[in-house]
Amino acid sequence: MLLSLIAYLSIFLFVGISVYKAYRFANMPMHGRMDLYPIPKEEGFEHGGSFYEESEWWKKPHKVSHVREITEMLKEIVFIKKLFENQRPLWWISYALHLGIYFLMTWTILLVIGVFSIPIGVDVGSLSVWGSLIYYLTVLTGIVGLALATLGAGALFLRRMFDNTLKKHTTPQEYFNLLLIFAALVTGIMTWGTDLSFGTAREVTGSLITFSSTFAATTLQTLNIILVGIMLIYIPMSKMSHYVGKYFTFHKVLWDNDPNLKGTAIDHQVQKASTFKPTTSWSAPHIKPPIAPGK
Amino acid sequence: MINSKDLRPKDLGMRSDEQLIKLELDQLIPLLAPYDKPGMQSQLTDPKPAWKEKYCTTLDGYVGIGTLVRPKTKEEEDEFVRSFLRGLEKIFSDANNGVLQPLLLTYDYCAKCDTCSSACHVYEATGDNEMYRPIFRSEVLRKIMKKYFTTSGKLLGSFVGADIDVNWETIARLGELSYRCNLCRRCAQTCPLGLDNSLLAKEIRKIFSQEMGIAPTPIHAKGTMNQLKTGSSTGLTKAAFLDTLEFLEEDTEERFGIKLKFPVDKKGADILLIHNAGEFIAWPENPVAFAILMNAAGLNWTLSSEILGYDSVNYGLWYDDPMAKKLAVGQMKVAKDLGVNRMIMGECGHAHKAAAVVADRMNLADGKIPVESCFPMFWDIVKNKRVKFDPSKNNFPVTLHDPCNVVRQMGIVEPQRNVVKALCPQFREMAPHGTENYCCGGGSGFAIMNDANFPEFRTQIASRVKFNQILGAFKDEIADPSIVKYICAPCSNCKGAMRGILEHYDATEKFNLQYSGLVELMVNAMVDLKVPFFEFLEEKE
Repeated sequence: MLLSLIAYLSIFLFVGISVYKAYRFANMPMHGRMDLYPIPKEEGFEHGGSFYEESEWWKKPHKVSHVREITEMLKEIVFIKKLFENQRPLWWISYALHLGIYFLMTWTILLVIGVFSIPIGVDVGSLSVWGSLIYYLTVLTGIVGLALATLGAGALFLRRMFDNTLKKHTTPQEYFNLLLIFAALVTGIMTWGTDLSFGTAREVTGSLITFSSTFAATTLQTLNIILVGIMLIYIPMSKMSHYVGKYFTFHKVLWDNDPNLKGTAIDHQVQKASTFKPTTSWSAPHIKPPIAPGK
Repeated sequence: MINSKDLRPKDLGMRSDEQLIKLELDQLIPLLAPYDKPGMQSQLTDPKPAWKEKYCTTLDGYVGIGTLVRPKTKEEEDEFVRSFLRGLEKIFSDANNGVLQPLLLTYDYCAKCDTCSSACHVYEATGDNEMYRPIFRSEVLRKIMKKYFTTSGKLLGSFVGADIDVNWETIARLGELSYRCNLCRRCAQTCPLGLDNSLLAKEIRKIFSQEMGIAPTPIHAKGTMNQLKTGSSTGLTKAAFLDTLEFLEEDTEERFGIKLKFPVDKKGADILLIHNAGEFIAWPENPVAFAILMNAAGLNWTLSSEILGYDSVNYGLWYDDPMAKKLAVGQMKVAKDLGVNRMIMGECGHAHKAAAVVADRMNLADGKIPVESCFPMFWDIVKNKRVKFDPSKNNFPVTLHDPCNVVRQMGIVEPQRNVVKALCPQFREMAPHGTENYCCGGGSGFAIMNDANFPEFRTQIASRVKFNQILGAFKDEIADPSIVKYICAPCSNCKGAMRGILEHYDATEKFNLQYSGLVELMVNAMVDLKVPFFEFLEEKE
C-alpha cells in the first residue's frame, strides 16, 4: 500500500511540479525581443534570414511555418540535434541517457497496458496479436531503455569526474543529480533484470496501480521503487527539469520575433506591460535623480 | 598567478591583489600567413604599475572599465560589495521585468556541457584559456547569487556551488570579465538548451551601471550621456552637424563634380535616414555615398538635425537598459515629429538592432514609425536597376564581414551579399559567414573602449579570429601589395575594429588591405561617377 502511494505520489508530483514550473515561466512579464537567427519558423527565409530582409516589411504578411518550427523542435527533442552538431563526443553519452529515458517511459506505459492485456502466468504463444505486441515491445523497450540510460548516466558521471574542464565547473550537487539517476537505474536492473520477460515487473506494476493489499515487495523492489520515487520528485525541482525550460528558451525567447505592429497580440501585451509600475528601482545617480536639498 | 589550465570560477574570489592570469603571445592561436613568420606580431604588454594601483588589473592585466577604481577606505570597499549585491538581487526583481524570463532560464538551466566554448572567438583566440569560457563568468555570478540569496546556498554551501569569497577583488574582476565578451551571441546558437551566456555578461554590466554607476567612460560618460546632452555620442552638436554637411557637399563637388545636397528636416519625406554620427567624423565618405546613391535612385528621403535625430547609436544596448530605452524612445519621437513613413538605419549594426529589435517593444505600436535596414534598400536599387552600375570598376578582391547585430540578431543575411555578388566580380566569402559569422572583436563597445591597455586586448585577442578569417579570404593575393584587397564591413563599430586591426598589424601599408562599407562599393561602381570613389584606387591610377 505504501509503495503504491509512493508510486502515485511521485508521478503526481513529477507532473504537478513540472506543470507549475511551466505555468510560472508562462506567466512571467513580457520581455524584450532577443531573436537569434536562424529562426526555423521564418517562411521564405530558409537560409537563416528574416522578414527584415525586405523593404517595407511591415506592409507584407509575416509568414510563419509552424511545420518547420515543430520539425526543428522534434529534431531537438528526439535527437538532441544541437549537441550532435556541436559536440559529438558528449552527444553519444548524453543521447544514450535521453534515449534510454524515452524507452523507459514507453516501457512503463507498456507495463501498465500489459497489466490489463497479458494475464499473469500465461504462455506467450497463447497470447493474442495485441497481447504479443505488448509483450515483445515491453521486452525490447525495457532491455534497451535500462541498458542505454544506465550506460549514459554512468558515462556522464565519469566524464564529468575525469574531464579536466567539466570537473572545474561541476558542483557536488551536479554529481549527485547524475548519481541519483544512476542509482535508480542500477537498482532497476538488479530488480527487474532477473526476469527479462518482465513478467515480475508487470505483476508488481499491477499490484502498485491497484493498491493490492496482498502484495509483498522484496527489499530490492522496495529500494528501487523508493529511489525512482525520490528521483521523480527531485527532477522537476532541480535544473534537470530543462525539459520545461527548453520550450521557453526556444519558442519564447530565441524564436520569438513577432514584431510589435498595431492591432496584433504583441501590441496588446506591450500596452498592458507599459502600465506596470515596478516596486524596485535602480540606484545609480544617472538613473535615480538626486534628492533636492531639504527633502 | 594561476596556470590558466587550473583556473576555477571560485578563484575569482582570491583576496590576493595578484593578477590571476597573464596572456602570452605564444599561447594565442597562430595567425595565418604572412603573419605566421617571426617578428610579424608584437608581444603582449604588462599593465603599468600606476594602473595596478588605480584600477582592477588583477583579472588578466587589462583595464576595460576606467571608472572602476580601487577604494581608499574599508568603508568604501564594503559599500562597493554591498552595492553590487543590491544590484544582483535587483536583476531578479520587477525592476528587470524586460529580461526576467530569459535571465531566469539561463540562470537556472545551464547543464555545463561546455558546448558554447568552441563557439566563442575570444576563448578560441586565447588558445582555450579557462578565463574566457562563456560559462566561466556565468558560474561566478551563480556562485555569488547562491551564497547570498538562495536558501539552498545558505543551507548547503559548497554542495550547491556557493563556495566563493566575495570581496572587492571578486566583484571588480567579475565586472572586468563582463567586458571580455563581445555579446555576439554566437555561443547561444550552439547551446542545446537555448541558453545565452552573453545575457549574463550583460546583466553584470547592468548591475555595475544601473546600480553602482560604473561603466566604461567611452560608452557612458562620453557616449550615452554626451548623446543625451549634445545630440551625439561624438559630441557633434546640431550646428556642427549642419556645418559638416555643408563641408561635405562642397568637398563632394570638388572631388567628384557632383552637386550634392543633403536633405535635412524635410517634413513628410518617405524615409528618415539615420547614421551613426561617428561616420561624419571618422568615415565621412559613408554618408556622402549614401546621399549620392539615394539621390541618384530618386528616393524621397531626409536626415534630421534634431537632438537624437542625427546619431543612431544606442550604447545603452550594451550595459544599461534605462539608457537604451531613453535613447530609443527619443529617436522614435524625432521620426514621428518629422512625419516620415519609415526610418532606415545606415551602416551601423548595433543601431540596427537597437531601433528595430530592442526598441520594438519599448514603444507603443500606435504611431510607431517602422524601422528598416539600409541593406534591402540597396538590393532593391541594384535589382530594379534604379541606378546604373559598372561592376568592372570594383574588379579587385572583396570579402564581406557580417556584423553580428545585423545577421545573427536580425536575420538580414542575403541583401548585402546579393549587392556584393552583383557589383564585385572578385567577391569571396569568409569562412564561416552569414549567421555563423565571427564577431569583428569590436562588438558591445570594444571598438570605442580605449581606456589604458584595452585596445591591445581588442586588436590582439578579440579581433584575432576575425583577422585570420580575413587573411584566409585573401590567401591567394595577400602577399602581393600591388593588389587592393577590400574588406567590406558595413557597420561603424566593425569598421572601428577593422581600423584597429589593420593599424596594429600595419596591414594596409604592407599588404594593401583596405576596409570600408558597402555603400562606398556601390557608389564606386556607379557609371555616372567619373573618378574612383576610393582614394586608394586614385593613387594607383
